[in-house]
Amino acid sequence: MIKLSQVNKRYPNGHEALKDVSFDIAQGEMVFLAGHSGAGKSTLFKLITRIEKPTSGQLFVDKQNVSRMRDSKVPALRREIGVIFQDHKLLMDRTVFDNVALPLIVIGMPHDEIKKRVRAALNKVGLEGKQEQKPVTLSGGEQQRVGIARAVINRPNILLADEPTGNLDEALSDEIIDIFADFNRVGVTVLIATHDLRQVERLGKRTLHLDNGELVGDYRHSDKANTTPLDSTDSPTAEADNNG
Amino acid sequence: MGSYFTRHMQVLVSTFGDMARTPATAINTILVIAITLLLPSLLYVIVKSSEDLSDTWQGRPQVSVFLQSDMSQAESQLIFNEIKLHPAIELAELITPSQALEEFRLLSNSATLSEELAFLGENPLPPSIVLMPNKSAAKPAALDELKDQLEKIEGIDSIRLDLEWTERFTAILAVVTRVGMLLSALLALGLVLIVSNTIKLLIYNRRDEIEITKLVGGTNAFVRRPFLYYGMLFGLFGSLVSLIFLILAANLVEQPIAKLASLYQHNSLLYQIQAWEILSLIGIGSLLGWLAARWSVAQHLWRIKPK
Repeated sequence: MIKLSQVNKRYPNGHEALKDVSFDIAQGEMVFLAGHSGAGKSTLFKLITRIEKPTSGQLFVDKQNVSRMRDSKVPALRREIGVIFQDHKLLMDRTVFDNVALPLIVIGMPHDEIKKRVRAALNKVGLEGKQEQKPVTLSGGEQQRVGIARAVINRPNILLADEPTGNLDEALSDEIIDIFADFNRVGVTVLIATHDLRQVERLGKRTLHLDNGELVGDYRHSDKANTTPLDSTDSPTAEADNNG
Repeated sequence: MGSYFTRHMQVLVSTFGDMARTPATAINTILVIAITLLLPSLLYVIVKSSEDLSDTWQGRPQVSVFLQSDMSQAESQLIFNEIKLHPAIELAELITPSQALEEFRLLSNSATLSEELAFLGENPLPPSIVLMPNKSAAKPAALDELKDQLEKIEGIDSIRLDLEWTERFTAILAVVTRVGMLLSALLALGLVLIVSNTIKLLIYNRRDEIEITKLVGGTNAFVRRPFLYYGMLFGLFGSLVSLIFLILAANLVEQPIAKLASLYQHNSLLYQIQAWEILSLIGIGSLLGWLAARWSVAQHLWRIKPK
């Protein structure tokens, strides 16, 4: 579903955010993306959503070559991907309803249908009855859920979440991650960037480990015991770093 | 098609909402547009009123035909009879030298006139014929032709067309119209610049919203649409307010103009603006607003990208 081969990203200021990164995420997989801040997790998300273009290498999303995609095709790509941002990226002067409805409004869905879908999405993330509130009146965890509701409202094939549990307590973090796991269970490909290793361990899903722009690990946490990398051809460094 | 229409209606409604949320910007911009449109509209009404006036006046030009001064009464009567039959002439009047003198005496109001005339010994005024051409011959070109034909008649000394001032008036109107057109073009340009600047501010104020909309898959056309509606609605409301100003201005000058008109036995001097002209004003206002938004969006919107 998401395939990178030898992707490099160098920013105009000379910073090399990603170095020769290759991996393949299958449809319906749930993958954690681990690494310290500055390791290249956010850059990877920007490449997948075509906010940035790779400097070299190939990037495929749902069999489309994103690195060569024409600008006019970008909106269609982004409609396929639900993104949850660390800073939520909500419109603070709009209601929760307006925020969640935005992906449906941009595709011109009739208002009645939008209403139904927004209500369903808010129920799913446990925010029923809050649709007329402004995001500023909500807690951090609730704002995060508004972001999730917005990301899933258009029933995307792929969910990307950038540090979704960033500043939440453990119980809230578990709830949020469980919501993603629920979506994954119905076939959505999920990629979560996090440095919350507790979640990685708790779910035992495949984990990609980025360090300083390089992919240094690709392993399944529950496989820790037998230390077998999932994809040794794409990430030869994985074996050396599968304890992280 | 249905969803296309739905999208547009949603944007229209939400743009109305946004305008209502920031009324100060909207009102300022609308007033600027209204005043900018008012000036050419006023000029237009003035030129139109003047054209009506000159049309009415041009319908009554006078032609004075002066006969040779030594002509006898019978001879001048003969020429008068000939001229009267000319198809282009509606009314003709023969003025004998003594009638002319009497008129001159009345008009000149000079106490010493009798003495001066006595000094001359005889009436110096020639017999003359005053003509009023019919409507079809009242145009400048037709009058010149009439003059050429009359000049061929034996015994006519000179012919004067009482046209000069109407020609001058028409020429002045033409100049005013041209200047008005130039001024309107400049004002239209100014209006586009003002509205595009307002739209630019709106674009940067809504930076976050644009970024997020692009992130969730909004196309450039979708992101652009509300600003185009903004421009169009600014133009629409601006031209409507301009129309109100125009009506107020007309009410203000109506009374003195009616008085002026009554002095000239005229029904009305003020041009009554037609429905198509009102629609044109609104259409031009909306179009200019839309163009301004289009221009602004082309300059600024692409700069805003999700980060």
